[in-house]
Amino acid sequence: MHKFWRDFATQRRVVGALLIREIYTRFGRQGLGFGWIVLEPLIFAIPVLLVWSVVRNPYEHGIALMPFLWSGYLPILLFRHVGSRMLLFVRVNAGLLYHRQVTIFDIFLARCLLEVISNLTAVVASFALFYGVGLLDLPRDLPMFYLGYFYMIWWAAAVGLIVGGLSERTEWAEKFWQPYSYLYMFFSGFLVLAVWLPDQLRGWALFQPSFQAYEMIRAGMLGNAVKTYGDPAYTGWALSVLTFIGLLLMRDSRKYLVAE
Amino acid sequence: MISAIDVVKEYRTEGRVRRAVNGVSFNVARGEKLALIGRNGAGKSTLIRLLGGVELPTSGTIEQTMSVSWPLALQGGFQGSLTGNDNMRFIARIYNKSFDDIKAYVEDFAELGRYLSEPVRVYSIGMRARFAFALSLAIDFDCYLIDEVIAAGDQRFHRRSHEELFEKRADRSLILASHMGEIIKSYCSRALLMHHGRGSLFNDVDLALQAYNDL
Repeated sequence: MHKFWRDFATQRRVVGALLIREIYTRFGRQGLGFGWIVLEPLIFAIPVLLVWSVVRNPYEHGIALMPFLWSGYLPILLFRHVGSRMLLFVRVNAGLLYHRQVTIFDIFLARCLLEVISNLTAVVASFALFYGVGLLDLPRDLPMFYLGYFYMIWWAAAVGLIVGGLSERTEWAEKFWQPYSYLYMFFSGFLVLAVWLPDQLRGWALFQPSFQAYEMIRAGMLGNAVKTYGDPAYTGWALSVLTFIGLLLMRDSRKYLVAE
Repeated sequence: MISAIDVVKEYRTEGRVRRAVNGVSFNVARGEKLALIGRNGAGKSTLIRLLGGVELPTSGTIEQTMSVSWPLALQGGFQGSLTGNDNMRFIARIYNKSFDDIKAYVEDFAELGRYLSEPVRVYSIGMRARFAFALSLAIDFDCYLIDEVIAAGDQRFHRRSHEELFEKRADRSLILASHMGEIIKSYCSRALLMHHGRGSLFNDVDLALQAYNDL
């Protein structure tokens, strides 16, 4: 584990360099370049959100639909993108590990950061847009909203570590990730509030960190309008355990690495 | 000093275990030049990857008290979709060196001119070799790992790379995987002959080349 806690300055420099490299490799230097970071998720999110809001009732269970969908769909995108970017990420970046100061963790951090930055810019930009046309109000409880979104980011990163680590060991990880990341939409808590569930099911659902984080995000968006069940302490513990497992898997993946 | 002690590397392919490096031990002292010889598939490149630190040995240890370069090979150390300049920027950042210094050195040595602002993937093989070579020499290492790259490039590049590597950096260590007997004879003081994953160390390079030819 000590490898992860090397000199902070070196690590910041390395992660910064990897981040810039990642941006150039993914978005190129011609045309929009860096602008795609903002636009890519927006192109994804805005049409989907608009279609959903048209085909569904504007009020479901007495809750305004747009805040519900908006705050639910962007974390889905984050989760999917982070996970997909982590598939086999050690293998495809093996060449970077010839530079001794670069660790697997740095590469992970840079990839993850780019997705998070991209997602957060989309959150701000789409909020501004929907707020401007009157489809969204400011979150009622802003700190709670931030906390929920923070947990969402942590959850996506922790799952990314696990998926990335497993994908280096077995091809099953990659095959399972595709359907899982799609079905995730239905059991992540995106489309439900815990209060709508029967007691027994609610208990199980709330084991899932994403469900917890959604509850907190909803508490933040809707305030006292709904009863929510988010438990920040439990979520923090659960995510710590998942992160620890992910780090172990990732460290282990170094053993399986075959460079070019 | 680099000391490899009883290094073993195994790969698992389709459920079978293949031992690419089988209990190899050697030392490379500061300033020493070691040749790595052997047929294709004998384990030279695996050993280079282990020494480069990108793969870990299955068992045994590799201790290093000097800085070791990334392998100077055709593909080593850069990203094809990035331009030469962006690759240099990346190297400058992670090694905490000035981009201008690196650029000046690479421009002078690799003589790629305007190609530096184009993606590396459009370079010819000779240009890539020049770029990779120049970029690794732009960073100061105690020991350079070289995987056959000297064979690429034109006459002028050969002359200049020999000058840079063997004359200006005569005090540095070198681990050189090559099939070119002449280069090995003129620069290396010892040789490690790899055969089926096993390594035999020769203090006499001529004897090593003789043994290699007799394989």
